[in-house]
Amino acid sequence: MAGQSLPIIHFDHATFGFPGVVALEDISLEIQSGEFVGVIGPNGSGKTTLCRAVLGLMAPLKGHLRIFDCACDELRCHHRARIGYLPQKGVVDRNFPVTVLETVMMGRYGALGLFTRPSGKDLKIALNALAHVGMEGHRESALGHLSGGQQQRVFIARALAQQPDVLLLDEPTTGLDITTQHSVVELVQHLHEELGLTVLLITHDINMIRSRVDRLVLLKTRLYAAGPPADVLKPDILSQVYGKDLVITENDLVIVEDYHHHH
Amino acid sequence: MLDLLAYDFIQRSLLAAALVGALCSTIGVFVVLRGLAFMGAGTAHAAFAGVALGYLMGWPPLLMAMLFGLATVWITGWVEEKGRMKLDVSIGILYTATMALAILFIGLMKTYNAEVYGYLFGNVLAVTSEELGIITGLSIVVIGAIVLFSKELYFIAFDQEMAEASGVPARRIFFLLLTLVALTVVISLKTVGAILVFAMILIPASTAYQLTHSLSTLTWYSVLIGITCSVGGVLISSYWDIPSGPAIVLLATLLFFVAVIFSPKRQRRSLALG
Repeated sequence: MAGQSLPIIHFDHATFGFPGVVALEDISLEIQSGEFVGVIGPNGSGKTTLCRAVLGLMAPLKGHLRIFDCACDELRCHHRARIGYLPQKGVVDRNFPVTVLETVMMGRYGALGLFTRPSGKDLKIALNALAHVGMEGHRESALGHLSGGQQQRVFIARALAQQPDVLLLDEPTTGLDITTQHSVVELVQHLHEELGLTVLLITHDINMIRSRVDRLVLLKTRLYAAGPPADVLKPDILSQVYGKDLVITENDLVIVEDYHHHH
Repeated sequence: MLDLLAYDFIQRSLLAAALVGALCSTIGVFVVLRGLAFMGAGTAHAAFAGVALGYLMGWPPLLMAMLFGLATVWITGWVEEKGRMKLDVSIGILYTATMALAILFIGLMKTYNAEVYGYLFGNVLAVTSEELGIITGLSIVVIGAIVLFSKELYFIAFDQEMAEASGVPARRIFFLLLTLVALTVVISLKTVGAILVFAMILIPASTAYQLTHSLSTLTWYSVLIGITCSVGGVLISSYWDIPSGPAIVLLATLLFFVAVIFSPKRQRRSLALG
């Protein structure tokens, strides 16, 4: 999948954090156009920091970060509209007065810039994005009346309405039931294949994504491993990062003590 | 009641009330959705302190009100952005500190000044042609800015971080919103007064909030309710000879409770619970 052209995201010995607190240290990582990359790691491992860095909301304290053709060392990034972002699922105020279509149209605002009103073309793009996530029948529904899974689909449509090159998803399945989790991840894979989007998916759920991604990136403040899932999900690497022995069974990744308990 | 409309001062006050009603209810949409309700109250009291200082020193009171209002919103906005403390705490401190300053300035005046109290309670029936001109000019500036930046203002009201991540200059838009709130308060001081302006920002938008699930519909409903209550309040006030500020605000409050009772959202919740 990885092309020979320049990587679209390039961390070069980059360190992120606040004075006195290092959230991510000495990260070197290249992401090529069209890749589907899963980012995993325990709580507090710097996954969300990586996300904020890719969005251009955090500049490296040391090292360099380049996204597309933009050096992000000074937070003067112009690439944000090219990255469709699905934030961690907050609790949407069920009474917030916004319709599905109004939510998706917001995806156009960054790309349009100040002083430009959305046109018929923008409406078409938003409706098309809704069709991609299978929510075209809900355009006038109140966002707060939808289920958690439907809301995630609407937020993915909002990200698609930016016509992004990269889809960046921060724990998109958290708080959803197991069937809905699968349908959301399937949707992301489908969009990756159909639209050729580069996907960066941050998750705790290794089992859910390991058969779908091209590469996994394993973080715990530092970058422990990056590569095809089979190379990353090795018991010795995982036990170093998660502090417990983990074993990969035919279908799943389980903690050793649980595995022995069940067998 | 119709013969009242023949008077110049009634025409002026109806126009001023309609402008202030439209202005407060439009900015109110973003104040309510962005969770800045308390900010309106804090700014109003800070602006009143500015008025008091203006009268004490012989400086233009409206200009001083504007300076105090802008300083308050910018300081609280900066504190929120830095995450140093919760917004309601920082506004609470500035709110009471500026009120203390207002009382201090009034105390330092050697004589009783009725005009200062006019800014506290407002009197739309006393608006002069010159003041109407200022209200009109500033209203055009504020409503123009809201129309120009409406899509960004809606986006930051919904989710400021998501807006920032999408390439919208969310931080600058947030400070623009704070500035517009301060200007709205200053424009409205003379008509509804420092105590009641907060209600005019909050109530029409909160009433509209009960009635719709669409951002654009919410804004139109809010403006309609704001103008209706302001104009209706002035007519009631001049017909029955009662103070105009309370007439406007109590009419708006009445409409709010009617909307809560008949809210489709409330009925939906009742159905869900039932």
